[in-house]
Amino acid sequence: MSQDDEKWGIAHVHASFNNTVMTVTDLTGAETIAKSSGGTAVKQNRDEASPYAAMQMAESVAEEVKAAGITGLHVRVRGPGGNLQKSPGPGAQATIRALARSGIEIGRIEDVTPIPHDGSRAPKGKGGY
Amino acid sequence: MRVAITGTPGTGKTTATELLEERLAEDDSLPDLEVVHLNRVLEDEGLYTEVDADRESKIADLDALADWLEDRDEAVIESHLAHHFDADRVAVLRCEPAALEERLLERGETEAKARENAESEALDVILSEAAEQHGLESIYEVDTTDREPEDVADALEAVVTGEREPSAGEVDFVGYLG
Ligand SMILES: Nc1ncnc2c1ncn2[C@@H]1O[C@H](COP(=O)(O)OP(=O)(O)O)[C@@H](O)[C@H]1O
Ligand SMILES: [Mg+2]
Repeated sequence: MSQDDEKWGIAHVHASFNNTVMTVTDLTGAETIAKSSGGTAVKQNRDEASPYAAMQMAESVAEEVKAAGITGLHVRVRGPGGNLQKSPGPGAQATIRALARSGIEIGRIEDVTPIPHDGSRAPKGKGGY
Repeated sequence: MRVAITGTPGTGKTTATELLEERLAEDDSLPDLEVVHLNRVLEDEGLYTEVDADRESKIADLDALADWLEDRDEAVIESHLAHHFDADRVAVLRCEPAALEERLLERGETEAKARENAESEALDVILSEAAEQHGLESIYEVDTTDREPEDVADALEAVVTGEREPSAGEVDFVGYLG
């Protein structure tokens, strides 16, 4: 594929304790190209449900993104992703894998998880994020 | 027994724990637990390593705080850092992020601080850290949205007395992020 045929966007992945949602925008962040309805985990079976739901969510978003002519996505992950895993959690990881499998090129992956803080905060990497 | 009371800044930990503290002092039927407001310890003892200038926030020295807590085993430890230390039970206070942002602005925090904490709350950052560190069987999630501080103190009292079962992941706040 020539340079000219490439079109990049940004996938904003929000991975909370039991939900993963994704919005795809253009590179400026101004225009929304696709939006997921969310990969909510089935509560009783959180361990399996969350990555699976996130993967399904990503697959359907990938189709919309490709239809819009996007060939590559930079990924901005926010959130620990739950399920007792280190960041990015299984929801986020499953999302990125599903995007790649659908034929979308994956560019930079950035973790922009916010830090809870008042007059003090935990050091980075403690609590994982 | 050690009970940690954690949660994103603005969830009402200090307010509710001060009410619990009065009850523990007055009611002999409640367990005899010392209440530690860990943010005050960090300030008073200087237990931090450096300052995050962007956030105007001191970076906690978790090892030094753990040493300070070492022999305090019969205690309630209140702080958004409390889940980083050993505990038998961990109460995680929650608040709907837009309401939390309001509370923080009313408390006089900057917009940036209110916003980043609201986003942390929307993404369950503290709940996830607490669950990772302690396991779901030790987590007691308490939603404080639209609840009076006395109500929240009731919930904390139930955690302390063992009248409450563990729970986690019952709220979903990602909608806040748009
Ligand atoms: N249950 C509640 N409902 C509404 N506002 C509350 C409640 N608990 C505390 N607040 C207010 O919200 C702000 C944050 O409470 P605070 O106890 O300082 O939270 P934290 O210690 O978790 O940061 C304070 O201004 C406080 O008066
Ligand atoms: Mg406080």
